Amino acid sequence: MTADSIKKSKSLSVFKDSAVCLVVLTAATLAGYAFKAFHLADADIIMLYIIAVLVISIFTSKIQFCLISSVVGVVLFNYFFTYPEFSLSAHDAGYPVAFVTMFITAFIAGTLANKLKRNILIAEQNAREKEEAALLAQNEQLRANMLRSISHDLRTPLTSISGNASTLLSGGDTLDESARQQIYTDIYSESMWLIGMVENLLYATRIEDGRMQLNISVEILDDIVQEAVRHTERTHPKRDIVVDMRDEIIPVMADANLIVQVIVNLMDNAVKYSDDDSDVTVSVRRENAYAVISVSDYGTGISDEEKEKVFDMFYTGGSHSSDSRRSLGLGLALCRSIITSHGGTISVSDNIPNGTIVSFTLPIGEVNLNE
Amino acid sequence: MNEYLVLVVEDDKPIRNLITTTLKMNDYRFITAVRSNEAIMLSASHKPDIIILDLGLPDIDGVEIIEHIRTWSDVPIIIVSARSEDRDKITALDKGADDYLTKPFSVDELLARLRVIQRRLMKSENISVTEFVNGRLRIDYVSGCVHLDDEELHLTPIEYKLLCLLAKNVGKVLTHKYIIQSVWGTPADNSEASLRVFMATLRKKLSDSSQALIQTHIGIGYRMMKL
Repeated sequence: MTADSIKKSKSLSVFKDSAVCLVVLTAATLAGYAFKAFHLADADIIMLYIIAVLVISIFTSKIQFCLISSVVGVVLFNYFFTYPEFSLSAHDAGYPVAFVTMFITAFIAGTLANKLKRNILIAEQNAREKEEAALLAQNEQLRANMLRSISHDLRTPLTSISGNASTLLSGGDTLDESARQQIYTDIYSESMWLIGMVENLLYATRIEDGRMQLNISVEILDDIVQEAVRHTERTHPKRDIVVDMRDEIIPVMADANLIVQVIVNLMDNAVKYSDDDSDVTVSVRRENAYAVISVSDYGTGISDEEKEKVFDMFYTGGSHSSDSRRSLGLGLALCRSIITSHGGTISVSDNIPNGTIVSFTLPIGEVNLNE
Repeated sequence: MNEYLVLVVEDDKPIRNLITTTLKMNDYRFITAVRSNEAIMLSASHKPDIIILDLGLPDIDGVEIIEHIRTWSDVPIIIVSARSEDRDKITALDKGADDYLTKPFSVDELLARLRVIQRRLMKSENISVTEFVNGRLRIDYVSGCVHLDDEELHLTPIEYKLLCLLAKNVGKVLTHKYIIQSVWGTPADNSEASLRVFMATLRKKLSDSSQALIQTHIGIGYRMMKL
């Protein structure tokens, strides 16, 4: 906030507080007239002004308003309700004492109310700070776990790549052609895995407070799916990918790059957990206000108890997965984080006769065409 | 022997080696530059046919090199950049770069980009001002008719404008901003969303669901391929 705008908001709050005083004191005076009409005692009208000061103390920010309204309350009472009316003189000898008591009572009550209000505000702020700190700690914990798991995951392919390269450098000639070919293939596939991992990491850094920072606009679902399919065809040139899409333009509200990444991750999993000669299918349909995108394979499928866990951070299908089938550890967790941040849902089900279907939804977008 | 001369501007040695090895294996001629002034000098003295330019040079911004070269030459420029620099890529394309490669890129991708540029260079040798032919697509600029094979397509005025813009820049990636400015003049809030929908309907009329003719570059723009 600039100095100027601080000044402005300060003078605004003084104005607001003065208005509160004016309204409340006027109300008290009007109520006083009503009391008087019903022949209630002066003490009751005094009570009205004390209540007014209490109310003012609660709804204004500064103790000065309490002080001023206490004084004004006494003056108003004197002016409107003591004999002679509409004058600041008071004939009855008891009045000066009444004025002083009224002022002191009003001021003390007001001060207490103001203090109480401040204490409540402080308590609220403390609670909020505590909550924020807890969330921050949770995020830090998540980040720490992620970093630990990632540096562990990165070490394996890096060891393989550097080791294989050093073998080639020092004694590549002594190896026979097929052994060398194996080494080339390993270096290539391990580095491809690293590329996928780094891509995911890049997106994972955008998670804050468990939610993804999004860059949402109206996108054509077809474009997103095509991009993801192209990417997968590049990384898995031997696999057949079937795209099942009706001839319909579906606009969705999405961060296109992130949704491409989700579909790429899902197809990557589908390819990894199914046989090389089986199809992987991406299908798209419209269901009311949502688009439903499904990626299905004809692999071994996922057992019901594992279905619950696959979306957890770093869950990789237990320790039995062999290295050649190493999946991108944070893949599905990242997918879920991205989809829920879009206001969609993601779920796993069984394919028929065998295999897995992962489906997610995205809200349909609206376009006013600019002709 | 390939007659194309490629200028490679890249300060990172392993990447430079990767690019030059690929060029050598595919019979391209090449020269290399590490610094920007070197790049500008070589592009003036050797008149390369294609420039591959890393955006992240140590001395000056790659975008400045593009601006500089564009003052005297239309040589096709392919920029190389890291993924996190989406905005830089768009700026570079707006300043006159033709295409981009994102690190990490594969050798196949690099070769594919070079082929796209080559097809375009070949095309511009027998350019016609009244007609545009690309694969099954034929645009007659004089009558404003568009044909797919022998069938005439019925395009709305905006679709026709879009198609002509892409055709005139065939092989080149056009950014959303550039397209919107060229077609609508003043951009409105819904311009990008509208553009996406118009492209989708245009693509449908062109029976191009596989994006063989018009590619979508997510977050960047569109490009018509030379078939």
